[in-house]
Amino acid sequence: MSVPVTILGGFLGAGKTTALNALLRTTRRRIAVLVNDFGAVNVDAALIAERQGDMIALSNGCVCCTLGTDLGEGIARLAALRPAPEQIVIEASGVSDPWRIAQLARLEAGVTLDAVLVLADAARFAVLLADRWLSDTLERQVARADLVLLSQVDRASRSEIVATRDALERIRPGVPVAVLEPDSLDALFAAPQAEASRFIADTPPLHEFRHWHWAPQGDFAATRLRAALAALPASVLRVKGFVHLDGMPHALQQVGRRTELVPWHGARQPNRLVLIGTAEMPPPDVLMLQLSVALLPASDMARSRISS
Amino acid sequence: MSAPITVYVADRILTMNPAQPEATHVAVRDGRILAVGGAEEMADLGAFTLDERFAGKTLLPGFVEGHSHVSEGAAWRDPYLGFFDRRDPNGRVWPGLKDIPAAVARLKAAAAEKPEGSVTAWGFDPLYFGGRRMVQGDLDAVSTERPVVVTHASGHIMNLNGVAMRQAGFSAANDLDGLVLDAAGQPTGEIQGPELMGRVRRVVVKDMLSRNLDLDAMRRFGGLARLTGVTTATDLQSDMSEATVAAYRAATQDDDFPVRLVPALGDRFFAREAGIARWRELCASSTDKLHFKLVKLTVDGSIQGFTARLRWPGYHNGAPNGLWYIAPSELEGIISAWHRAGALIHMHTNGDQASEAAVEMLERVLAAHPRPDHRHTLQHCQMPDPALFRRIKALGLCVNLFANHIWYWGEEHIAQTMGLSRAARMDACGTVRRMGIPFGIHSDAPVTPLAPLFTAWCAAMRLTAKGRVLGEGERIPVADALRAITLGAAYTLKLDHLVGSIEVGKFADFAVLDENPLAVEPMRLKDIGIHATVLGGLLHENGPA
Repeated sequence: MSVPVTILGGFLGAGKTTALNALLRTTRRRIAVLVNDFGAVNVDAALIAERQGDMIALSNGCVCCTLGTDLGEGIARLAALRPAPEQIVIEASGVSDPWRIAQLARLEAGVTLDAVLVLADAARFAVLLADRWLSDTLERQVARADLVLLSQVDRASRSEIVATRDALERIRPGVPVAVLEPDSLDALFAAPQAEASRFIADTPPLHEFRHWHWAPQGDFAATRLRAALAALPASVLRVKGFVHLDGMPHALQQVGRRTELVPWHGARQPNRLVLIGTAEMPPPDVLMLQLSVALLPASDMARSRISS
Repeated sequence: MSAPITVYVADRILTMNPAQPEATHVAVRDGRILAVGGAEEMADLGAFTLDERFAGKTLLPGFVEGHSHVSEGAAWRDPYLGFFDRRDPNGRVWPGLKDIPAAVARLKAAAAEKPEGSVTAWGFDPLYFGGRRMVQGDLDAVSTERPVVVTHASGHIMNLNGVAMRQAGFSAANDLDGLVLDAAGQPTGEIQGPELMGRVRRVVVKDMLSRNLDLDAMRRFGGLARLTGVTTATDLQSDMSEATVAAYRAATQDDDFPVRLVPALGDRFFAREAGIARWRELCASSTDKLHFKLVKLTVDGSIQGFTARLRWPGYHNGAPNGLWYIAPSELEGIISAWHRAGALIHMHTNGDQASEAAVEMLERVLAAHPRPDHRHTLQHCQMPDPALFRRIKALGLCVNLFANHIWYWGEEHIAQTMGLSRAARMDACGTVRRMGIPFGIHSDAPVTPLAPLFTAWCAAMRLTAKGRVLGEGERIPVADALRAITLGAAYTLKLDHLVGSIEVGKFADFAVLDENPLAVEPMRLKDIGIHATVLGGLLHENGPA
């Protein structure tokens, strides 16, 4: 079973460590994080179950490990943990291009790339972008991000937030941008283990994200599904699921602009999609209309079960 | 009863002491210099043994290599594939390879000698092959069953055969920065950048350029040092692991090992507090032949790899600016921590923007925490303009310039990285000499060969491999170049009270040359034979060439 790997990038001070601390404190999943420096990760002492060299095991099943000089070794160690982590999160160094780390992570056995998330400090991003030494480094970090999360929003003025959003749109047109909340990361990683047919219209308790679950029957046309997914608005942060393409089962995953449809060789299961989006994500009937055009004619839309 | 005294007499002794630049006799007791001068200065020493083995030779202080890596010793476990002739630790000269078939032939020979496992080679240098690049097919001719991996001289590029590409998982299907594709979109077998190269080392050829230095690598390095007149050398990026330090200790405790080692703790290998604690612990264990004192910070990448940070107008060919390995915004904190701990900081800054950021942060730290005679040093420091050098001077910084670049990559810098105008000011020995900035010059071995006389020749001549003079105004006189490879480098290491010149009280470390470097045509400086070295009064002779 392949472990999804998420890269968390962003310049120094963007709030990566804070976000990771929050993730480790609040998650209910077994997450393994690879960090640059232990010192910075302020794991609650009460949470620490065991400390072994450069690895800390938490009582909630999570693991925290420092990234040595070799990324691949770090990933291999975490992927080999038993029980295997449900998710690996790699903290990119503040000056690195997180997409390059993603490229390498993808080469490792036993893991698949989940997403490249980049944090941008809403109060400082535009200023840093004007820095003679740093501008290109920041641009590079965002240029291939799947998804940008705005941090420090409560400290930023309205005009700073607008400037940050404008700059992000200029560097990476169409990239989804969401506001970072204490449990954003967990919410983005985990599509809630809800009934496939359940539609969650209400905003879940802690974060601003919305989910929509859809279980259409029948078959999708591959090219049309790709087009429909590409046409989803930026308020749709990610799509996960399982679909039949021209009769063949595929795992589907989309983060921001990047879509992956991988042939599925496991047990057969019915079509199932989960969309995670910001509060601005269109309502279910609009989303369904956009996606159902990709279903092959034989499929009867009326048979797709939607309930609220 | 005091220890015996040996007096060496030579045709000429170049002391590097301006008050007494030349001598003919040097007396040695307890491994240190007891007296230097002529017969007169020897007359009042009491009984001594007159050793005339260096009659006809010229003695210099043992050369000090201020920026080398002991991994040069490990590199020689594999065949050398470079364009230029290069001497191995046994004194054998490997002729330069002038085309790809020659490189393939040497690889085939290496594969035949080592019938199992990977075939790896280093130093490959296709810059002067008229644009022809090595491709996967070339290396498939060496083997289609074993991985073949060739590392380029620049240290930033590798060529792989099909087996190695498969084992590394590199294919057209991956979107990978650094995977070179041909016009048809297929990988050529060439990969670029530390990320992909690191994966090859880990997954395909675990044993290549072993990251763990061992005694064997140290001894090979010692052999090269003896052949090139080096008696003090840095290992300028050390992980300072128990195994590495054990190898340093074992090597330097052996009287046959002819080098004083100055390893620099690589900041990047440690979390900050842990690094400082390790450094303190090591400093306390320094010996006469093993000096723990330096800390290395790496601020940017390399110019020829397009990863150095450049100021306006950037790379001549329009390549995007390079990479910060340490962000300027965190540099101040790092420098401050090490400076306040009392360390001697050597900072790798290749591009002028990296040098500028380092200078600016050092300025802030030194303003807040002044320390006389700190001798923090900018390593490589290849591109500053005079204005930036004036700031370097004002802060009391030292520089160690990469003079060998002019020969090895001068043409590349003209054509690709800098353009002629900026290339002419690279490695500005002339400027720093005129300004009175303390400086050394270096090889960065194994990036270029350990050979201080060659490095001095580069600084004096500034010839590119195509024979053109690059930056006439940055040439320095041979005498200054010789000072740079002895006392100049020793000063940047804060070892100038022990090595780098032939003066009473210092270690009896000598390089014994077949000819007087001040008397030969400067063009022949690099060709002067090294007869022997002396380290702490112990003789290390080279066999006949």
